[in-house]
Amino acid sequence: MLKSCKHIVFFLSLLATSAMVSAEYGDVLINNYSDAAGMRPVVFPHWFHRIRFRCKVCHADLGFKMEAGGNQINMLKIIDGEYCGACHNGEVAWSVENCDVCHTGKAGQPTQVHQSTASKLTTTTKRKETESEQ
Amino acid sequence: MIRQGKVIVFPGAPLFQVIGLIFLAFCATATVRAAEEVRSGKQVYDASCGACHTAGVLQAPRLGNQEDWSAREQQGLELLLAHALKGFKNMPAKGGNPTIKDEEIKNAVVYMLVSSGFEQYAEKPATEEASRKKTDTASAEKQASVKKTLASSVNQFNRLMKSSSEWNLPPSKDGIHDSQNPGTLLLQEPRVAFDALSKSKSGNRVDWVKALQAGEISPRYERLNDDAKPVVMDLNIVREVKGSMPDVVYPHKQHTEWLDCSNCHPAIFIPQKGANQISMASILLGQKCGVCHGKVAFPVSECRRCHSKQKAAATEANNQTN
Repeated sequence: MLKSCKHIVFFLSLLATSAMVSAEYGDVLINNYSDAAGMRPVVFPHWFHRIRFRCKVCHADLGFKMEAGGNQINMLKIIDGEYCGACHNGEVAWSVENCDVCHTGKAGQPTQVHQSTASKLTTTTKRKETESEQ
Repeated sequence: MIRQGKVIVFPGAPLFQVIGLIFLAFCATATVRAAEEVRSGKQVYDASCGACHTAGVLQAPRLGNQEDWSAREQQGLELLLAHALKGFKNMPAKGGNPTIKDEEIKNAVVYMLVSSGFEQYAEKPATEEASRKKTDTASAEKQASVKKTLASSVNQFNRLMKSSSEWNLPPSKDGIHDSQNPGTLLLQEPRVAFDALSKSKSGNRVDWVKALQAGEISPRYERLNDDAKPVVMDLNIVREVKGSMPDVVYPHKQHTEWLDCSNCHPAIFIPQKGANQISMASILLGQKCGVCHGKVAFPVSECRRCHSKQKAAATEANNQTN
């Protein structure tokens, strides 16, 4: 009885958590180094950028790999004008001193493309694993 | 007739008749009361108005959006009510449902105004009678509404499908942004940006290809050059697929509008006929087409946007049956 109650509570909490996350399709959460450095992770909004630039600009010209967390981006590279720093330099877009406009994510979230098919599939597998552990 | 017959058989007939009559009278008053009951603004909104006023369909002012309502509110409640009752621009009279009572429409208009930040309307009860009834049936209504919310959250058409009010949430409410961070509040809200763009049923709820074609957006092709034009290649590749799904037509045109050849060739797709093994399994796991589709380009739930060419055999069979 207790076990089934536990399951129900667990299932409800899953429902609650899945309902709470309604990130925009294509939002990339980047947490390669942020948590370890005591910063909020970065949320990259694809939708905002694709209104202003075609995919080619970042993914061909600037060398962003099409993989969440696949680019080893750090602030040093950005200040040197690589990756985000190619535009976020105070000329094309606002500059790096606006830390909390990029570092907006809740701490402790894994690097992922939100609402992506792959992340949904992986999440399901993980859920099952945790369920069987209980 | 049967009831009468039965009653006559019993010796205590008058008593039963009286009980029966009282019961019937009670039923009748209950029914009349149910028919007379005036629904609250929220009930009417949830049942009818919300279909358009939640997402802002056909420029309908959205619930909770003070900006949408402020100009309308200034025109006065009476005019708003008249529009709601008789219809105005894209809105049909009574939202297209003539069975809604006038009083209920008024409740709904007030509810929308109050929910959109005009709380001055909240203190005025819709009518004295309605408010009296409200207190009479307050507890019953409360129970009913609790039941209703439970039922609607569990038994909606598709539990896994988000309702339109859950799309394109502002960053502070989307669950991944830290709402305590001052920078989060500086971010543009997706709904604001998407307002003028062609709509779709999935992903960002924006049809990006249409938006680009229609000139609703003009994203740069080069980082610093506003005038650079993409090198567009108009070549369709038809991929015959196994099973009964229609064949896939891959249009280079729409892809080269956004991308450079080097984004796909040769790392993801070898530019040679028959050299690429593609399966839905690999796409679902984020490979091949799935590098973009299912992450940022339209999601894989849109089967027929790729599988768009009916098979030759299927066309013949259709012709024969017709």
